[in-house]
Formats: sequence, structure tokens, C-alpha cells
Amino acid sequence: MATHKWQTSEEIFRLFRSIGRASLLYDIQDSHSGNMAMRWRNQAGEEIVVITATGSQKGDLEPNHLCYLSPAETDFGYYKASSETDIHVRILSLPGAQASMHAHVKELVMATLDDQPGPKTPPPFVPVDPLAFYHLGPEIPVDWFAVPSGSPEMAKTIPARLAEHPLTIIYGHGAMTRGRTLKEAFYHLCLANNAGYIVRLIERQITPRNVDSGSKDDASEVLKARRQAFLQELRTKIKAAPERHFHFKPPAYNIEIDGRCDFPDEDEILKEFRKAGNRIFESRLSPFHTGSMSVRGVDYLLYAPQASRPYEVGGPLLRLPLAPAPGDDRELELHKKIYAESDFQTVMHCYLPEAEAHAHYIYPGEDRPLDRIVPVDAEGSFLYLAIPVTGPDVSDEELIRLLHDYKLVVVRGGGVWAVGSQSLSEVLHHPSSLREICLYRIAASERGLDLRRMEPEKASRW
Amino acid sequence: MAVAGYHGRVLEVDLSSGDIRVRPLQAEDVLLYLGGRGLGTKLLYDRIDPTVDPLGPDNVIVIATSPLIGSQAPTAARGHMVYKSPLTGYIGTSNSGGAWAYGFKATGYDALAIRGRAPHPVFIDITPEKVEIRDAGHLWGKNTHETTDILTAESAPGNPCRALVIGPAGENLVRYAAVANERNRVYGRCGPGAVFGSKRLKAIRVRGKEKITIADEARYRAGLDQALYLMKQAPITKRLLRELGTSGLILLINLINMLPHRNFQDVEHDEEKLERVSGEYIARNYLEKAGSCYLCPIGCQRHTAVKGADGSVRRGEGPEYETAVLMGPVCDIYDMDAIIRANYLANELGLDTISFGGTVACVMELYERGYLTPEQTGGLELRFGRADLLEKLVELTAHRQGIGDLLAEGSYRLAERCGHPERAMHVKKLEIPGYDPRASYAQALGYMTSPTGACHLRGGYAVSLAFFGGTREIPRFSLLQSPIAIRNMQNTGILQDSLGICRFTGFAFSVDPWARIVSGLTGQDFSTARLEEIANRIASLERLFNLEAGLNPEEEDLLPARFAEVPIMAEGKPRAVTLESQLQMRRDYYRARGWNDDGRPGQEFLRHMKIQRRNNRI
Ligand code: SF4
Repeated sequence: MATHKWQTSEEIFRLFRSIGRASLLYDIQDSHSGNMAMRWRNQAGEEIVVITATGSQKGDLEPNHLCYLSPAETDFGYYKASSETDIHVRILSLPGAQASMHAHVKELVMATLDDQPGPKTPPPFVPVDPLAFYHLGPEIPVDWFAVPSGSPEMAKTIPARLAEHPLTIIYGHGAMTRGRTLKEAFYHLCLANNAGYIVRLIERQITPRNVDSGSKDDASEVLKARRQAFLQELRTKIKAAPERHFHFKPPAYNIEIDGRCDFPDEDEILKEFRKAGNRIFESRLSPFHTGSMSVRGVDYLLYAPQASRPYEVGGPLLRLPLAPAPGDDRELELHKKIYAESDFQTVMHCYLPEAEAHAHYIYPGEDRPLDRIVPVDAEGSFLYLAIPVTGPDVSDEELIRLLHDYKLVVVRGGGVWAVGSQSLSEVLHHPSSLREICLYRIAASERGLDLRRMEPEKASRW
Repeated sequence: MAVAGYHGRVLEVDLSSGDIRVRPLQAEDVLLYLGGRGLGTKLLYDRIDPTVDPLGPDNVIVIATSPLIGSQAPTAARGHMVYKSPLTGYIGTSNSGGAWAYGFKATGYDALAIRGRAPHPVFIDITPEKVEIRDAGHLWGKNTHETTDILTAESAPGNPCRALVIGPAGENLVRYAAVANERNRVYGRCGPGAVFGSKRLKAIRVRGKEKITIADEARYRAGLDQALYLMKQAPITKRLLRELGTSGLILLINLINMLPHRNFQDVEHDEEKLERVSGEYIARNYLEKAGSCYLCPIGCQRHTAVKGADGSVRRGEGPEYETAVLMGPVCDIYDMDAIIRANYLANELGLDTISFGGTVACVMELYERGYLTPEQTGGLELRFGRADLLEKLVELTAHRQGIGDLLAEGSYRLAERCGHPERAMHVKKLEIPGYDPRASYAQALGYMTSPTGACHLRGGYAVSLAFFGGTREIPRFSLLQSPIAIRNMQNTGILQDSLGICRFTGFAFSVDPWARIVSGLTGQDFSTARLEEIANRIASLERLFNLEAGLNPEEEDLLPARFAEVPIMAEGKPRAVTLESQLQMRRDYYRARGWNDDGRPGQEFLRHMKIQRRNNRI
């Protein structure tokens, strides 16, 4: 038997509690659902597994809600530890897996539901957004289980899935994932939920207006078929040539720089980064630890990759030279290029799910996705007469030109880029406003309203 | 040239020879420099040797309008005047509301360049049909209101005369004399009134009905709708400025420890006393009505009245924030009656109230420290708080009588003559306005690098971002963020001045709607990227002018030592702008501008910016 039944570590506890709270904020848990586990070497140098207690509230973890188990003696603590401990321990024995997490990623669960009788063999889920496609894989497995909670069947299947994939979907229940850190595991779950949300938004904006059918029942069948066909076609195209459908491969999650802060003394700027990062996360302008934001200095930039971050979790804050450097990823390269070609002081890039989905919108009677988003709400229409939507093949020069003119650009398959002349708060306002603009438009479409008729006439001039 | 929004004509007047001619406005100049401040700077640079005596006949005054003047764009009626400043010795650049610039454009010209010195006092009379240099003997010695009334008496219904005038301060070459239009709208800073006076130019009268064309009405309208909507949304442009005027900022600025006291020795005020110089107090006790400059939906003007001890009532305008602060708490004066009376008189005699207040505060400090004796002051006890002397000092200064002759030189020259130049709160000899630089690093850097010296309008109105910026609010004490922030603020100001629009529109939005309006109006690509490039070009040309005029950036792009050495309390910490901080921010600012680390634009950079020195001056 392990001798460390109720030992605590302040650091571990804070980590679990903050990720637990973040998962509630991101709405991928109910009050008591899900569980988190990680391998940890204690002060005595022993490797143990830390796991959340069964029935604990992940948004309000207490120290005694963490169970410290020996990986060799997994039966200990079953009365307190998660009912899925066995699955977690097996996942944690996979090479490179230091953490594992299970959550009720509702959007993804909803996007994978079907109305066929069980037992079923659901098809894998194919994301249509670049984050999930590249970082969770082009086909995320979906498994149906007769007993979809803590069952031996799951303990066998899920670790096997996770040996091949970073995340796997439990039909009608949620997802399990592994990570090199607990934060990375959470990142996977957020990406997964976001991917499901985007697919559902795309479905919702396929309008009943074009569905003409004799009876109401027929109409809903036709609508369903239309939605399936649209997604099927999109997925086929993406799988065949992802580089043509996505702007670029988003940088991989970098655990090496996670806690780095290069300007700890700049209190005011740090506060601005923290506020903006938290808002991106809480308002879901980009999934956890995705997107980026920067403030330009004279020959350097203050750069927050993995920009979406709740207050309690944080993320890297780097001070980098403004000149291009060989190791720059594509995201950083674009920040630098924008600054090189403009006087802007702030840049933000978010993978805003509403914009990602709405960029695929095709007006009834047309055959190409829209090239501009025209706000139909009062606030949006005065802030932005129109917001350009480019294809994923947009050149850097064209993107920067559009940013000069519009301050905010949606790249289909590439997120949202925004610029500000002064502050992070200013640049944050753009994706935040855009989210509402897209929600109103998607809702209007969903309700069968004629978007063209709702758009202000003057917008056609911009 | 044929760019919509412009008439394509520059009027040139030589007061020495009486020569009057019209030159074509070069399309290249408007595409590179837009209008107003930018175009004015370019036209000045092409016409003047920057080393000339600013009060000599070779100084040139250029008044330039923008393509928006003549349109219905909100606030777009502001003119811009550019010249070599007799106060700073560098470029002088002043902007004013009122309808004069609108009237000038309606005479069919875009800009006016005046050189030489008339043999006797004159005024220039401009209509589309005729331009005349006329005798102003009957106007000389009259104040700005009297002169305006005489010259505009010939107004006809639907065809008003508008007059740009100086008062006795300009005639007497007070180094910070102003030029006024519509009685109380002034081109205040840097002493344009003295340049008028040195040319014996009392006034410029305009009358006309020439119209501009609009290239793309629909595009122009879309931008206009957006601008008007946003102005109605923002609380400062929607309410604060109309209800309380700019003085409505006084209590707010005090909240962020930025309101200077006793010649910038501290920022501590007795709250009760301060209330008595606030916009709220003015609104309750003096305000008769709010007013607007031509085409302005904001309306920050204060039409006020003040009662005398004998029950008589005097009416006038003001005070604005700067006047109330510089003639008020900066001199340790919290007597609104006295401030208002002095303000009315300063407007009538034609003085810049910021430089006047700053100079008086400097004198008070010198006097209290014993560096200025009662003999030198003509027996006046010039201590802080002497509200009873304010009006008298305005009078003495405008007429250069007694201590007024010294006050008329501005704080730097005055303090230097007393052997204590360190007591003058100035940058490049221009007095610091009512925002203490220790409470905002960006504002500090703005004063340091403004082409005209310590001016919140040319240096970047950082306080608008530090406190009222809304989404654009920036950190107040960031050495890292201030250089780019202030460069961008300065550029916004340059564009506002070059478009002929009011600074206060910036509380509602930046340049985006203007880019749409001006592109629609002219039919040219004045995208925000293009405007950004134009602003950078104008800033560099102003710099070039100053360098050629003898600017030494190393010594002059700095704050007075007080701000580096004596901290104030702000946000719970002692705050100073140490020399080290100033040097760091300044170097970064130069780099952000594309200049060398010594603050000079390099040849390659100038070529890249298409800034050319003409071989032959016009
Ligand atoms: S806001 Fe005030 S200063 Fe500006 S144009 Fe309007 S009335 Fe004139």
C-alpha cells in the first residue's frame, strides 16, 4: 500500500484547482463531472499519480479532493479517487503521457450524436478547423460503449486509442485525452470542444430558406441532408488538401516556454496582457492556449503566444527582437511582418469559432462563401461597415493591406487577425465585437431570415 | 491640379513689395502632405530659410486649409497656420476653430503665404474677385473684438465677412501673442500674433462663396454617418464637453494626480478650493450657454458672464481647461472671477493664455525665491495666489509695460535673465500646458519631442489615452509602450490638423472614418495606411525644419530638471521621469520615427519618405 494517501502539494493543488475552474468556465464540465490525473514525483523522489476524487466539484476543488496514488497500486483509494482511475493510470503509462483528463466536451458530443440504434460504430469526427485538424488529427476516433463510464471496456479501448491519437471521443459522454502536462491535456479538450462547436455552427447557418419541400417532415429531412452533404463535401476537400483550406498550420503547443516571462517588472503591461488573455479565454474568442497577441516596442515585441489564458493559469510572455529570426513560427512571423509594414502597436490573432464557421456561409442562391461579413446589429454596423473575409491563400501583403483599412480581417481556415494603434484593449475589442456580429448573423440565418435584406445598403460600398 | 476637395490655388502676398500672385497648388504636394498642417509645413519649408529672424520680414506665414474644409464633415472648418515661432525659434504651428478658414476656402484658394513687412499697418482683403492690401491705420491699437466688429460690419446676408485679427499683444510683439477669429477662437500657441505684428499685418478679411467638388458622394457619406454616430456614442463628445466644457476635465485630471500646482512644484490641491475652478463650478455660476465652432456637433465653448463688485456684468468666453489651470492652480489661484476676467482680457488683447499663465507662475516662483526683486516688478508683490494681479498682468504684458515687458518674453527668457532658467517650466521655450508629465510617461515624451516644444496638441494628447482612451487606454508609466504610443498619438494629431478637424473628435474615434470621408471626397486613395505614411512624412519635415533652424536634440528634447528630480505621488508611488528614463524613451522614439539615434533623420530615410529640399526656394 502506498504511504502517501493524503499528502498535499500546494503547487499541484493550485494547478488542479485552476485547470478545474478553467474547465468549468469553458463549459466542458458539469458541476461534478470529469477528472484529471497526472504523474508526479514527490519530494522523496517517488513517482506517484495524482487524481481528482470522485464526485468532486472541479470548479471548487479542495485539497482533500486530490488523491495521491502509487502507479503500481492503483486499487488504493478507489473509494475516493475517480471511478475512471484505472483508465487514467493506463493512459499515464503511455510513452510521454504525464497527464490525462476527461471532460464533457458538450459541443463535440452534440456534433457527433446520431439517431441510429445501438450498438453503434460511429465514424471518426473530422474537424473542419485548423487547430483541431492539425493538433488532434484529421480523424478523431469516436467509440460507443454499452457502459460509457468507468467500464473495463473503456479501460481497454481508450488507452489504446490514445496511444495513436491525442484525444478520443466517448460517444454521448465526452472525451479523454493525454498531455505532456495537465495544461496540454486541457488544451486538447478545449480544441475538441471548439471543433464540435464550429461544425454545429456551420450546420445551424445552413438555412431552411432554400429547403422547399411539400411537408414539414420532409423539410427537416432535406435540411438535415443538406447539412450533412455540405459538411461531407467540406471535409472531403479538407482531408484531400488541408494546406489549401487552412491558412497555415497553427504552431504546436509549446510546453517548454509555458511559464516564461521576459518582462516581469513591467507591471502595467503585464496587467494588460493578463486581462486580455483572460478575456480571450473566458469569452471564448480562441480556445485555451491558442492565438497570439503582441505589443510592439521599438526594435522588439512583447509577445504572448498561446494567448488565450485564464488569470489563474497564465502562459508565456516573451520579449523578442522585431527583426525576423530563423526559428520564428508562422504566427510570430506574421506579427513581425504586420509591424514592419505599419505603425500599429498591437496585434492579435484569435481562432474565433463563430467567425471560423461563418466564413463558410454561402448566401442562398450563391455558390461561394461570403467575402465580407456585414453586421446586421446596431453596434456592429456602426463599428464596422463590413469586415473582410479572405480565402486561406491570402498573401501576407494583402492581409496587411486589409488590416490597414479594416483593422479586423477573417481568414477562412485561419482565424481572425486584428490590429490596434495603441493598446491591447483596443485590439481585443475587434474579435470580441466580431463574435457578437457573427452570432447575430448566424441566429438570423438559423431563423430563416434574409441576411441580404437585413444588411445596411451603405455596406455595399465598402 | 485637379483633385476634388481642392481649388488648386495658393495665394502669395508679399507685404514689402505689395506683390500679390496666385500659384498653382501642386498635386504632388497634396498627395504627399494632404492639407492644413502638412501642406502648410511643406509650403513654408519651400519658402523660407529656417534660420531667418522670426520677427523679420523674411519669416513667412502660411495658412493652409484641408480638402474637408468646404464639406459638411463634423468640425471640419479649422484652419492651420505655420511659421517660424518667435517664442521657440523653431517651427510654429497653430490651429483654430471658428469659421475663418471655411470663409477663406470659399474665396477659391487652398492656402495663403505671406512674407515681407508692410511699410505701415495693413490688412489683407480677399474675395474671389480681388485681393487687396489695405491700410489698417484705423485698426492699429484696437483689440481683437473691436477689430473683428469693424471688419465684419460689411457682411451681407448669406455672404458674411470673416476676419482674422491680432490685438495689441501682437502689435507689441509679445512672443506668445495669438491670432483670433470670431472674437474668441484663437491660433494661440507659439506666437503667430507677434509674426503678424512684425509684418504690420493687423488682419486678414475673407468673403466668398466658392464651392468644392466631392468625387464620390456615397463613399464620403458612409464615412460621415459613421463619424457622426461614434461622436454621439462616446461620453466625452456626447456629454462632458457640451455640459462642462474642457474645464470639466479639471477634477478628473486631478484624480489621476496630473493637475499641476505652483509652477509644477507639486500636484497637491485643496479639494474645496479646486472645486471653485472646476467645469462644474463654471456651469453652475457663470455659464450662459454652450457654443460650437462652425460645423461642430460637440460644442465645448463656454459663453459666460461675470459680475463686477458694482453689479455690472461682463460677458465673454471661457475659461477653457488650459486657461483655468495655467492662470489658476499653476499660479496657486482658485478665484474663478479673477481667472474669467483675465481670460476675457487676454482674448481681447490677443495673448496665448497657456504661455501667459506659465510665465506668470514662473515669475511668482522667482519672486518667492528672491530671484526677482520688487524693483524689477515695479513694486508688485508677485507671490503665488495673487488673483488680484492677474488682470493687471495681462494688460502690462500685452502693452509691454513695466514687468509686462519681461513677461512678454516668455518664461524661459525671463528666468534666464534672472539667472535661473531652471525655474522655467518649458520645453524648447514653450510653456508646459496643464498636464504634469510625471503622471504620464507618454505625455512626458510628447512634450519632449513635440516639434513646437511643450504642447499637448502637437506633442500627442496622451492624457486622452491615459484616462479617457476607452478601448485605447494605455499604461501611464510604461517606458516600453510610451514611445510608439506617443508617436501614434502625434500622428493622429498631425492628421487631425492636416484634415482641419478638431482634436476632440479623437475622444470618439481615431482616423478610420476620416480616411473614408477624405478618400470619398477627393476620390484619391487616402487609406489609413496612406494617411499613416503622410503623418510620418510631415513629422519628419517638421523635424528637418527645426534642425535647420538650429535645434540641438541632445539638449532640447528633454524636460526641465524638476520633472526628473522632484517626484510627485501618483497611483500610490513617487513618480518622476528620471533622466535615464527620458533618454531611453527618447532614443526609442527616434527609432520609431525612423530617425538616427541622435534625433536626426538620415539622408536615406528622407529619400525614402520622399522629403526633398527644393534647390530654389519659392
Ligand atoms: S469640440 Fe469645441 S473646440 Fe472642437 S470644434 Fe467643437 S466647439 Fe470647437
